[in-house]
Amino acid sequence: MFSSGNVTSRVFERQIRSSPPGASVNRARKFYENLVPSHTLYDVECPDHCFRKFTEDGLFLISFSRNHQELIVYRPSWLTYTSDSDDTLPPLPRRAPRFDSFFTHLYSVNLASANELICKDFFLYFPSRRFGLFATSTAQIHDSAPSPGAVPGVPSIDKITFVLLRLDDGVVLDERVFLHDFVNLAYNMGVFMYDDLLAILSLRYQKIHLLQIRDSGHLVDARAIGYFCREDDELFLNSSSQAMMTSQDKNKQQNREDDAATISQPDAENSFLSGIKQRLLSFIFREIWNEESDNTMRVQNLKKKFYFHFQDYVDLIIWKVQFLDRHHLLIKFGSVDGGVGRNADHLPAFFAVYNMETTDIVAFYQNSAEDLYQLFEQFSDHFTVSSSSPFMNFVTSHSNSVHALEQLKYLKNKSNSFSQFVKKMLVSLPFSCQSQSPSPYFDQSLFRFDEKLISAADRHRQSSDNPIKFISRRKPETLKFKIKPGPECGSADGRSKKICSFLFHPHLPLAISIQQTLFMPPSVVNIHFRR
Amino acid sequence: MMTTPGGNGRFKALPTAMYAGYSGTASSWVAKTSVSASGKRIQREMAELNVDPPPECSAGPKGDNLYHWIATIIGPSGTPYEGGIFFLDMIFPSDYPFKPPKVVFKTRIYHCNVDTSGNLSVEILRDSWSPALTITKVLQAIRSIFLKPETYNPALPVIARLYLSDREKHEEVAKEWTLRFAK
Repeated sequence: MFSSGNVTSRVFERQIRSSPPGASVNRARKFYENLVPSHTLYDVECPDHCFRKFTEDGLFLISFSRNHQELIVYRPSWLTYTSDSDDTLPPLPRRAPRFDSFFTHLYSVNLASANELICKDFFLYFPSRRFGLFATSTAQIHDSAPSPGAVPGVPSIDKITFVLLRLDDGVVLDERVFLHDFVNLAYNMGVFMYDDLLAILSLRYQKIHLLQIRDSGHLVDARAIGYFCREDDELFLNSSSQAMMTSQDKNKQQNREDDAATISQPDAENSFLSGIKQRLLSFIFREIWNEESDNTMRVQNLKKKFYFHFQDYVDLIIWKVQFLDRHHLLIKFGSVDGGVGRNADHLPAFFAVYNMETTDIVAFYQNSAEDLYQLFEQFSDHFTVSSSSPFMNFVTSHSNSVHALEQLKYLKNKSNSFSQFVKKMLVSLPFSCQSQSPSPYFDQSLFRFDEKLISAADRHRQSSDNPIKFISRRKPETLKFKIKPGPECGSADGRSKKICSFLFHPHLPLAISIQQTLFMPPSVVNIHFRR
Repeated sequence: MMTTPGGNGRFKALPTAMYAGYSGTASSWVAKTSVSASGKRIQREMAELNVDPPPECSAGPKGDNLYHWIATIIGPSGTPYEGGIFFLDMIFPSDYPFKPPKVVFKTRIYHCNVDTSGNLSVEILRDSWSPALTITKVLQAIRSIFLKPETYNPALPVIARLYLSDREKHEEVAKEWTLRFAK
């Protein structure tokens, strides 16, 4: 569009011209170029909490107490004050630069119990009912005792509790407890929410628990995928196994059951492939089988590509899971070392698309597969699906923004080896749930900023003393506003490492930056807003 | 590194990092360099299998262990096992071919010759084993019990009885098992 960037002329233009079909939101969002959080209140007096995030509808600010016991919820509100000054920009009243001028405390709830603490990196929001999902856990045990059915080498947590809470009033609606299990809670990695469905990945028992969040606020088991694929497989197997045995066998079985080992449990003497592995192996087998029609060539192929690696495929474990739609999961498989370790990028990994209804593997790729990368480049929005909230549709990706695509292509051309580049890009799959901020200030069609310093991704970053510049995309590319974490005049101690996190409101020109120095607990909280 | 024709590198050989913790699973691990009589025999049978594989089945050594094979049987069409892919462990004793290989199903199957732990019991792997038999013959025998079970020599008599008395019901249950556990 050839319109002016002036806010008044934009308002006039909005009155006389309707926007192109389907683009009214895009046009309305252009106003964010004029309304920016350019004013900073440095080192605001505020309660000493861990501020987690704004919910994606902007209704709540989630924070946890420093001792990880309490959930504290605030309602973001707009600073209001009166002034009798005639200046265009009257000075702020003395009491304005305070945390409670922007946030109203709604309630505090104690979620932790006994030796469990709130996991401060975990929070999922269920927007349609305004429920929040939180997690509390006991300490992680690294050298856990092996137990039947558990993957050796995966740590164990004695108790993990997922708490579903109504954010309107802080009432706990339901809980789900996992005992002696391991779910990767950091940055929501082990849990994915899609509409009302919840996939919780137990790394230790290699099981994807599918739960449904009912409107009533109950967590209901839908199915578990892992050792079995369908919800009634175990029941089916147990009942038909009973029928299969003669009375003599039954006595034997009875004795064994007394030793607390049932037939369906994956114990040592029962070496059947798990449901998901059977699906995976038969898919791989079929692909190789169908690749070659000549019998002798096929035998060679199978020998080299399938039987030789059979044990490696059997040893693969599920690392991460996300929904692609209500019926399909994207599952990442890898070796045990990579499931828990942080730097697993160099290890081989595989992606599988699994249909939960037909229990079929639909596609299978290695993490260097170029065809998967092409899908990722062109249709990345199909991987980031998840939410019904309208703001979330505008999160920038290289599939919906030419600027992000340009950046990606630049990186692609710069990299020495394409296969290394593919691997590096595919590390972000499966996506972590609700890990991106929908704030319009991260919309790359509106603003340009240094993605190393700040981005929509919900991460802590190393902070520099220089302010972060947000530059308008439209010509002339002018500096629109700066975000500067930390104290106004920079810190006295330039050597110590500073960690920064940014919380942007999803639709208001309001942001919080929190700067922390290692070993220096009181963090510096700045509030950035539009005066 | 081998490359897949048209497969865009989907099934490239895995990097060696993956084998860092790999060890042969069978108890009788034998290095390729010291090929014993049984090893030589298995290698010869492998060559024979490669030249003339029986239809709809295949087998190969797991990793580099010559004594531990994986076999795959594609459920024959027209049987309740159609649509299933069945994986089996084949473990060769060190005195092979004087003793038969041990065959265990890794895929659940509803079949009167396979017990609840997956152990296969058929005539030729027990009493009628002969050193003249080969891997190809064993595969053919396994495939034939998919078409016609050895009901006179069952591991699970209940299933054999059902097969003989109510064939239709047997097929129905076996089909359900295939659908649930062998796809």
